[in-house]
Amino acid sequence: MPVSHQNALREDGKSNLNVGGTSNNNDMSDGMASGTTSAALVYKLCSHIIGLSSDVLTPSYQLALRTLSCISTAAIESDEFEVSEKIKKRLVKEKKEEDAVRFAELHQKLKGSIVLKNRWAVLCFLYNLTGLSNKYQTKNGPHGFCFAKFTMTSPLRNVGFTNTSKSYSNQQSRAVSTGKSLCTRTGSEKMVFTSLPSSYQLTHSGGSVDQGHGNLTDSGNGSVCSNSSSSRVAHMAALFSDREKLEGILVPVTTKKVISSQVQKQGSRTSNELGVPLLPESILLREVLFAFQGIDGKFIKMQPGKDKFHIDSKAGICGQVRRQLLRLTELGWMYNKVDKFCESQSYNKTLGLVGQSFVAALQEELSEYYRLLAVLESQLHNDVSTEGTYVSTRSGSLTLHQLVVWTLDPFVRMKQLAALIDSCHGQKGGALASTLYSYLHHADPSIHGLVRHVLSVVVQPIYKMLSHWIFSGELEDMYHEFFVAVNPSVPNTSLWHEKYSLRKTMVPSFLSLSQAKKVLCTGKAINFLRMVCHDHTSVRPRDEQTVRADASTESLFNQDQDSDFQRLLEAIYKETSCHVLKSMFAHYKFTDHLLAMRRYLLLGQGDFIRHLMDLLHEELPKSANMLYLHNLSGILESAIRATNAQFDSPDILQRLDVRLLEASVGDSGWDVFSLDYHVDGPIGTVFTPQCMNAYLRLFNALWRSKRMEYILSGMWQAQMTYSRLLRTLPGVLPILHYCHFILSEMVHFVQQVQYYITFEVMECSWAELQQKVVSADDLDQLIAAHEAFLDCIITRALLDEQSKDVMTQLCAIYDLISKFQDIQTEFWQQGLDEIAANKALESQVNAKTEMGKWGVTEAELEVRRQKQLEFKKKTVPTTKAQLCVLASSYQDMVQKFLLMIADHTDPNLRFLSFRLDFNEHYKSRNSRLQTSFTYQHRRRYVK
Amino acid sequence: MADSGGSGSTASTILQAKETFEIIQEISRLLNTGLDTETLAICVRLCESGVNPEALASVIRELRRESAAVKAGESNH
Repeated sequence: MPVSHQNALREDGKSNLNVGGTSNNNDMSDGMASGTTSAALVYKLCSHIIGLSSDVLTPSYQLALRTLSCISTAAIESDEFEVSEKIKKRLVKEKKEEDAVRFAELHQKLKGSIVLKNRWAVLCFLYNLTGLSNKYQTKNGPHGFCFAKFTMTSPLRNVGFTNTSKSYSNQQSRAVSTGKSLCTRTGSEKMVFTSLPSSYQLTHSGGSVDQGHGNLTDSGNGSVCSNSSSSRVAHMAALFSDREKLEGILVPVTTKKVISSQVQKQGSRTSNELGVPLLPESILLREVLFAFQGIDGKFIKMQPGKDKFHIDSKAGICGQVRRQLLRLTELGWMYNKVDKFCESQSYNKTLGLVGQSFVAALQEELSEYYRLLAVLESQLHNDVSTEGTYVSTRSGSLTLHQLVVWTLDPFVRMKQLAALIDSCHGQKGGALASTLYSYLHHADPSIHGLVRHVLSVVVQPIYKMLSHWIFSGELEDMYHEFFVAVNPSVPNTSLWHEKYSLRKTMVPSFLSLSQAKKVLCTGKAINFLRMVCHDHTSVRPRDEQTVRADASTESLFNQDQDSDFQRLLEAIYKETSCHVLKSMFAHYKFTDHLLAMRRYLLLGQGDFIRHLMDLLHEELPKSANMLYLHNLSGILESAIRATNAQFDSPDILQRLDVRLLEASVGDSGWDVFSLDYHVDGPIGTVFTPQCMNAYLRLFNALWRSKRMEYILSGMWQAQMTYSRLLRTLPGVLPILHYCHFILSEMVHFVQQVQYYITFEVMECSWAELQQKVVSADDLDQLIAAHEAFLDCIITRALLDEQSKDVMTQLCAIYDLISKFQDIQTEFWQQGLDEIAANKALESQVNAKTEMGKWGVTEAELEVRRQKQLEFKKKTVPTTKAQLCVLASSYQDMVQKFLLMIADHTDPNLRFLSFRLDFNEHYKSRNSRLQTSFTYQHRRRYVK
Repeated sequence: MADSGGSGSTASTILQAKETFEIIQEISRLLNTGLDTETLAICVRLCESGVNPEALASVIRELRRESAAVKAGESNH
C-alpha cells in the first residue's frame, strides 16, 4: 500500500500539507502530496526526528520512503493476540512483570476503544521498537564454545550475507564501521556463526539505542573505539527517559561480567596451536556433512592413495576438534564403501536376482541415511540463514557434539552394512543368503532388525523361485542362483534321474539338506507327471493364493520359531508324491510289472520255465549262429499258451520276448539264450537300463543252474531206466554204481545251491522289496528300494565283482556236470548198443531156429563175442577211467568251493557250506576243511 | 484521531481518541521505545494508513541514528 500511495503522490504533484508541528519545509512541501498522506507524514517524521533543514533531510527522506515501499515483510503475524503475547513475554523476560500486567490492562482498554482501526499494526510497531530487553540474551549452549566462537576473528569476512534489504546491510555496515562493542567486532562474521544471531539482533534491533549502549559498554570496558565519544553518549542518554538511562547504566555491569568471561575464553580460543585463526564451527559442520556423503570439502578430503579422510593440516582446527572430526568422518568412509559397492554391483550383469535385491536393501538403508543428512543440512542452513531477522533466539542449532550424538545410530548401522558387504563379496544366490543368515544371530536388537530386514529382502527372490518350483514345477532361474539345477539336454526318458539336480553350494544354510531334497523331489514329481506320464491334472486343487498366505519369506529363515514353511513343504511334498505313486501303481500298474519281472526273468513261474526248457531242449544245443529268433519266439509263444502264464494280462505277455546275446565262437544256444522284458514310459523310470541289465544277468545265472537241474534230473531218469537194462552186461555194474554215486553227489550239490539262491537270496529280498514298495513315500524311495533289492540279490547270488572267484568255481562245477552228462550219455549209448546188438543176435538166433537153421553161425558169434569183449575190455574201463577222473576233479572243485564259501563274509553262504557238507562227506577228504572255522583260522585264510 | 482534518467530531469521539492515544503512549513508555509524543502520533497515523509497522520501525531507527550522527557532528564542531 505504501507503494501505491507513493505513486499517487508523484502523480499528484501538489497538495495541502496539513501537518502539525514543524513546518519549515515549504520547499519540500511544494513537491509533496496533500496533507495527511503517508508521504507527508513520513516527511514530518523525518524532520521531527532529525530536526534539520530540508536539503539534508532529502536523502533520509528518500531513504525512508524507499524503505517503506520496498521492504517486503516476511511472515509477520497479523495477529494482534500474538503480538500482545510477544510483548508480554518480553516484558516478563526482563523481569518486569508489573509492566506486563499493566500492559495487559492497557491492551484491554485499547480493545475497548473503537478509535484505532489497525491496532495490531500499532502494537507491532511498538513491539519492534522495544529497546533493551534482549541485548544480553545470548544463546548459552552447554559449552563455552559459543562465546568463544563469536569472539574469534575470522579470516573469512563477508561470507554469505543473506540479507534481504539494503537498509539492513547499511545499518550493519554502519554498525561495523563504528566499530563498537565486541558484537561489532564480530559483526562481519555474524553470517557464519550460528550462535550469533541473537546477539547481533540485540545490536541492531535497538538501533541507535544499542549504539548508545555499545558506547556505554565500551566505555565500561575500556576498549573504546575511535568513533565513539562521550558527548554522543551524553546525547544518547538525553534522548531517553530516566528509566531507560538507568537501565542503560545497569546494563554495562552485566555485560562487563559477560565480556570478561568472554575475554578469558577468547584468550585460549582465538587461534589453534599453530597460531592459525580457528575455523568457525559451521564451516566445520559443513565440511563434516560433505564428508558424510563422501564428497571432498575444503578442508576434509579423501586421500587419494590411502583409503581415509584427511584434514588439511593448515586449516584452523585445533587438535581436539580434529580428532572429533576424524571420528565423524568414519561414518563418511562407511558410507563411501556401501555406496561404491552398490554402484559397482549395478554394473555387474551377472549379479542375479538375489544380489540385486541385496543392493536394493542397501539402497533403502542409504536413503534413510540421506534423509538424516538432509535434516542435518537443513538445520545447518537454517541456522546460517537466520541472521538478521527479527525472530527471537533459536535454540538447538547444530554443533559438532550434537552431530556426534545424532550420527551414532547411523554409524552403527552403516558399519554393519559394510561388514555384510565384506563378507558377501562375490557371492550370489543361496550362498549370499547363507552368509547373511549367519549375521542374523546378533544379540543387539537394532542390528538384528537391520539384518533381518536385509535378509527378508534378499530371500524374496529365492522364495519366489522356490514356491514357483514346488507349485508348478517350473524353474525361472536366469542367473543360476537357485539350488535346483536343470540340465535341459536330458531327454524325457531319464527325466527323473538326470534332469534335475541339487546345487549344493546354493542351498541356503537355513534350509536343511533334507528339506532341499524334498523341494527337489516335489518339483521333479510335477515335471515327471507332466512330461512322462502326460498327466496334466493339477496336483494342487487348492488355490495357490491361499497357500501363499500360509508361509511368508520370513518363515523361510525363521524356522526356529516359525514352522509355517516346513508345514507347507511337507504338505506339498506329500500331495505330489502321493499323486505320482498313485499314478504309477494304478495307471501304469507298476506292481504288476514288478511281479512279471519276478516270474519271468527271475524264473518265478516254475511251470512256464520248465515247459520252456523242455521245448528248447532240442533247439539250444545247436551252435549259436544256427538259432533263429523267430523260431525261438514261436517256442516261447507255445510255452506261454501251454502253461499258466497265459492267464497273465496281455500287456505283460506282449512285453516278454526272446533275446539272443552276443555269440562268440563255440557258443551253443544255451549260452546265448535269454528272455527279455520291454519297459517304457514311467515304468522305465524305475526299471532303468542298468536295472534291466542286472535282471538279465540274474536270468542268466538262474537259467544256467536251472539247466543243470534239468540235466541232472534227465540223467537220473535215464539211470533209472537204463541201469536195469545194462545190469546184465558184464562189468557194467560197478560203473553203474559209480555213476549213480556221482550223480547223487551232483544232485545234492545242485539242489542245495538252488535252494540257497531261490529261498535265501531271492525270496527274502523280494519280501523286503514288497514291503518297501507298499510303504514308499515317493518315487525316489521306490526307485531306491528296487535298486537295493537288485543289488542285494546280485551280491548274494555271487554275481558281483567280489564273488567272481566263487562264481567261476561254480561254473567250473557246472561244466563238469555237463561233461558228466556227456560221458553218461555216451556210455548209455554204448551200453544200449551192446544190448541191442545182443538182443539182435538173440532174435536172429531165434528167428533162424524158427526157420530150422542153426541159430547162429560161428562167424557171427565170433563177431558178437569180439564185440562183447571189446565192450568189456575197452569201453568199460575207459568209461570207468573217465568217470574216475571226473569224480576226482569234481571232488576237488566242490571242496575248493566249499572252502571259499566257508570263509565268506556272508553268513548265509557259510550255512550253505554246512548244508552242503552235512554229513562231512567232503570234510573227511580234505584236511583243511577239517580245521574249525573259528576266527583265528579264518584270519589265516584272509586273502 | 486518524483524521485530524475530518469533520468536527463530537466531543466524545475526541475524548475517546485522546484516551486511546494516552493508552498508546503508556504502552510505548512501558516498552521503552523512546518515542516522543509527536513522533508517536505521526507513526500511529502512518500505521493506521496501512504502512508496514516493521518497516516503519526500522525507518525510525535509521532516522534516529542519522540524527544522532548529525548531532554528534554538530556537537563536535
